[in-house]
Amino acid sequence: MNQTNRPMDGISRRRFLQGAGGGAVAGSAFVGLTPTANSNETSAPATRSGITRYPAEGLKIELQVNGTTSSVHISPDTTLLVALRESLGLTGTKEVCDRGACGACTVLVDGRSVNSCMMLAIDALGHEIVSIEGLGASGQLDPVQEAFIEHDACQCGYCIPGFAVRSRALLDETPHLTREQVKQGLCGNICRCAAYVRILDAVTAAATREQS
Amino acid sequence: MSYRNDNRVALENDEPRLEIREKVTGSAKYTTDYYLPNMLWACYIRCDFGDARLRSADVESARSIHDVLEVELEKKSARYHGDRIGYICAESRQALEQAIAALKMKFAASWPRTMLEEERTALEDLEPAENDVQAENVIDTCDLVVQGEFQTQVQTHCCLEPHSCVVHFRGDSAVAYGSTQSNVAFRDDLARELGLRPDQVEFHCEHVGGGFGSKFGMDNEGRLAAQISKKYQRPCRVVCNRKEEMLDTGNRPGSLQHMRIGLTRDGKIRGGKIATWGSVGPTGGGGGVSNPSRYDFGTIAKVHQDVHIDGGFPRAMRAPGHPQAMFAIELMMDQMAVEVNMDPLEFRQLNETSELRKEMLRVGAEQIGWSERQPNGLSPGPIKRGFGIGVADWGNRPGTAAIGVNVYRNGTVEVLSGAQDIGTGYRTMIGDVVRTYMGLPRNALVVKVGSSDLPPGPASGGSVTSRFTAPKAFLAAEKARNRILELVAKEWKLNDASGLNLEDGRIIGQDQSIQWKDACQLMTGDRIAILSDEDGAFGKDPTGSEAVQFAEVAVDVETGIIHVKKIVALQNVGLPVNRNTIENQICGAVIQGLSFCLFEERVLNNQTGTMVNANMDMYKIAGPVDVPEIVPIIWREQREVAVNSLGEPPVVPVPGAIATAVANAIGVQVRSMPLTPRKILTALSEKEAKS
Repeated sequence: MNQTNRPMDGISRRRFLQGAGGGAVAGSAFVGLTPTANSNETSAPATRSGITRYPAEGLKIELQVNGTTSSVHISPDTTLLVALRESLGLTGTKEVCDRGACGACTVLVDGRSVNSCMMLAIDALGHEIVSIEGLGASGQLDPVQEAFIEHDACQCGYCIPGFAVRSRALLDETPHLTREQVKQGLCGNICRCAAYVRILDAVTAAATREQS
Repeated sequence: MSYRNDNRVALENDEPRLEIREKVTGSAKYTTDYYLPNMLWACYIRCDFGDARLRSADVESARSIHDVLEVELEKKSARYHGDRIGYICAESRQALEQAIAALKMKFAASWPRTMLEEERTALEDLEPAENDVQAENVIDTCDLVVQGEFQTQVQTHCCLEPHSCVVHFRGDSAVAYGSTQSNVAFRDDLARELGLRPDQVEFHCEHVGGGFGSKFGMDNEGRLAAQISKKYQRPCRVVCNRKEEMLDTGNRPGSLQHMRIGLTRDGKIRGGKIATWGSVGPTGGGGGVSNPSRYDFGTIAKVHQDVHIDGGFPRAMRAPGHPQAMFAIELMMDQMAVEVNMDPLEFRQLNETSELRKEMLRVGAEQIGWSERQPNGLSPGPIKRGFGIGVADWGNRPGTAAIGVNVYRNGTVEVLSGAQDIGTGYRTMIGDVVRTYMGLPRNALVVKVGSSDLPPGPASGGSVTSRFTAPKAFLAAEKARNRILELVAKEWKLNDASGLNLEDGRIIGQDQSIQWKDACQLMTGDRIAILSDEDGAFGKDPTGSEAVQFAEVAVDVETGIIHVKKIVALQNVGLPVNRNTIENQICGAVIQGLSFCLFEERVLNNQTGTMVNANMDMYKIAGPVDVPEIVPIIWREQREVAVNSLGEPPVVPVPGAIATAVANAIGVQVRSMPLTPRKILTALSEKEAKS
């Protein structure tokens, strides 16, 4: 399992804003970062006093997604969501609101759920990303996914990958979840078909199963 | 829950929907998930204001951006926020976004029309209905006359999968993906746009991320994708972003409804006058309100006006014209009940048009605990408890469709339908009909829907998909089963197959039996192929998809916050097929109706016509915490009726049920949706000032 209960190490809204505004990221995040093949030397990231500038034409980075390391070409403004969908072909993660209001793009970053539309791909360097495609361990479904299936927890299904990933994180965050806590814990996710009753049934059942 | 247990679904299908695994693992491919090699991106250039003229735009700067192929401005004047005034085509999404920014458009905005109540023709100036005099006469002879005006807001569809299309034109053929409620219409529109015959367009829509009435035909997204793909002979992708989705892909129009109704002292409605206004786009119509309906209102003179607003155009939205009408009608019913000093349930029974709904009202009242209801406003304490009622039904009619069933030599049964599953569970319904009727387990079943190569299905509008296709599926299943039974009869040297039965995957004769799979081996060809486009003996009488809902709410009179505690939703579905998909559909409709009643509202800036909440953080949609306890009750087992409509009817009663429950709780009606805390507090303080 890729999910751990590690504390947030640097992925926060504030950090996102810092990254977007000044191009600043923590020094520890440099692993796997290389300039693009066709860029010249001045295009390499430049560091001064802990501030890193990335070449505007983009660069190649290595992301750890679903247990494997993949090389993707990104621009400094590429979101993790776009990198996953458009560069890595992991289209299970959905783009819906594109501003962190609906949860459809939820992925795990070091085991914590994150709206991937609100995180820059560059900020994912050095972190373990798990998308819906990698949610279960080695080809198996995650117990949360099994519960969604048992309870017919979906209608059109567009929001479901986000719900499933967020549910996994929620179960890891909080032991002994009640149905009320499940509601609160999923309140960042929106289902327009409103298949909520079945979704709540599924997550509550999965929580009950995991605690026993 | 004894009532539910009495009403087992006729076909005993309790399994989850067929495609759930793909949806839960992210492998289900929606239109937006297709990124084709060598693909172009295109989008529209849109106006930022309600009624505006483009003063300037830096087209040259936009064109000079790397990877931008085309920037075209096609018109200068725009009629609403989101109106299309040109388009951009580029090699990448990033280039599109940069080009839009580089345009630095400047508009001269005029004072827009944004408010229904200001733009409408006043009640007294409306052209009277033909039977106006007659209705006036009825009112004049009534013991009591009740009058009220009600208002509902504009609701956007906000499909999570945006309106989108990916087209690959290849000269004498094309492959296209589109998010739609009508594969056939989308394919035909594309073929016309591309100058191809329909058979030359391979169209796919295996999964749709929500439609709710807003996705028929190829729309503007398909048109642009087709034009660009044809021009460059490359694939082209057009996908609305969330803002575009909120602005320019339709909405449920707002309404104003004025009623003046006369009734007798013993509670019989005699008739009266109803005027409705619907807020539509800058031109055109579509603002109709289905008021009166359901209850027997006697002689009604009805007039309606579509009122032009400089905002995005309306489109059909899940039971267009109905939930907003029933909001007003149920409040009116309660008000009339007060005037004649009757219990609202009793008053409805007295004026109900449907015998079936009378029975449903009785059962629903038991389930919600109607006997605990206090008179309006007399619930003790700061958290007031209230109960309310809403009703609906839905027109059902037969229609054309075709269903294919293939039985392969290995025993696999393949069900084919070109209709689309927009999230309702259509795929599951059609598959479960065939395999249950044939007597086969689910693992023998493969269902393929949503592609133009499959037998044609109807557009999924008006809740007709299941209604139209189910009889054809029954007939195809019967034919396919009989073909195999005939093979077995021949093998067993029987005169005919009349003594054979197929149950639980086994064909049983008088003194012998054979497994389905082994029986299928008796066929000589690759498969037995059945195509059914007739109803045959399965074209049974439809019933009315009657719906009755009871709501229990708790209203905090200090904060104005409404907590919907419980909704009992009784739903006649005719012949029920799959329990999971039916209950899921009912519960979803109830919550979507709740969301409409309490939260959702398109807000236009009155000065500029700009929609200020064209996103999902400021346009509030019900989330997990807003979900009440919902008791879906599939009404009565009915084996001798057709599969009925389900998509729309359960969303209709919700606003009325919640609004009447709130009025019962706080002792005053809030006649304007959404029922926000502010409106609750205002109504309470007005009530206090009066007393």
